[in-house]
Amino acid sequence: MDKIPEAGFVFPLYTIGTVSQMDLVRYAGASGDFNPIHNDPEYAREAGLSGTIAHGMLIKAYMGRFLLQHFPLSALSSFSSKFKAMTKPGETIEIHGTVKKNDAANGILILSIEVRNQAGETKATAEAVIRI
Amino acid sequence: MALSKESIGKELTAFPFTIERVKVKEFLSAIGETSPIFHDLQAAQQAGFRDTPVPPTFQTSALFWGYPDFWKDMQSLGIDIKRLLHLKEEYTYHQTLYPGDVLDCRVKVSDVKTGKMDIVTFETVFLREGTPAITALMTIVVPPEVSHG
Repeated sequence: MDKIPEAGFVFPLYTIGTVSQMDLVRYAGASGDFNPIHNDPEYAREAGLSGTIAHGMLIKAYMGRFLLQHFPLSALSSFSSKFKAMTKPGETIEIHGTVKKNDAANGILILSIEVRNQAGETKATAEAVIRI
Repeated sequence: MALSKESIGKELTAFPFTIERVKVKEFLSAIGETSPIFHDLQAAQQAGFRDTPVPPTFQTSALFWGYPDFWKDMQSLGIDIKRLLHLKEEYTYHQTLYPGDVLDCRVKVSDVKTGKMDIVTFETVFLREGTPAITALMTIVVPPEVSHG
C-alpha cells in the first residue's frame, strides 16, 4: 500500500463469488484433503450434515488472496483463522477487512478479516500480522 | 482408544516433501489466485523474489499429500474423524518458499482438551535446510453427539 492505514481503516469489500461443488473437488485434489464430508454428499449426510461443506482451508485460502491484494507476500508475519460456520456449495461469500491496530513502534500492522455469506453470516474470522 | 491428554507432546511423524511446481500451479488454480507474482517469473523477480513464490496457505498440500496416514493416526489418537471439524489454523511465517524446495515436515500433538467436546491441536513445523520456514497450528474439534433420545 502507498500509505500505511490507521486503525479502523476499512478495506474495499472483496467478493469471492459462489462456492461450487467443483471448487471443493478441485481444492481436495490440490490440497490432498480428501475428507469425504467435502466431496461425498451421502457420507456428509451420514456424518450428520445436510450435505457437503467447504474445506475450512479453502475459505482461509480466499482470505489469503484478500491479503495479497493489499500487502506483499514477504510482509506477512502471521495469519491465524477461526472457522465459525460451515460454508455449503451454492453460498456466495465475500471478505471484509479492517485495520485493527497500527503498531508503528513495533513495525507491524494487525488486520481483522471476516468471511461472510450474502446474508451476513460469519463463516470465518482471521487476524494477520503484517510487517511495515 | 479414548482421546487422552497423555498424547500432548506426542510426535506423530517426520516426512520429506518436495514442492513440485505443477502442484503449486494446481493449488493456485483451485483457490483462484491470479496474482502475477505466482505465475510469471519476471513479475516475481521484479517484486524481489528469486522465483515464483508459494502462496501462504499451500502448506496444507504438504501436510495432506506428504502425510496420507494423518487420518489413520488421528483415529489412533482417539479422534472421531467422521465428525471432526476444523476449528482454527494458525501460521507463522519465517521464510518464503519456492518450487523445488525440499521440506522436512514434523508433526506433533501440541494440545488436547477433552470433555463435552474433544479439541486437539497439531503443530507442524516445515523446515528448509534445517531452518523453520513455517510453523502451523491446526486445531480440530469433535462436537458433542446429537442426542436423538
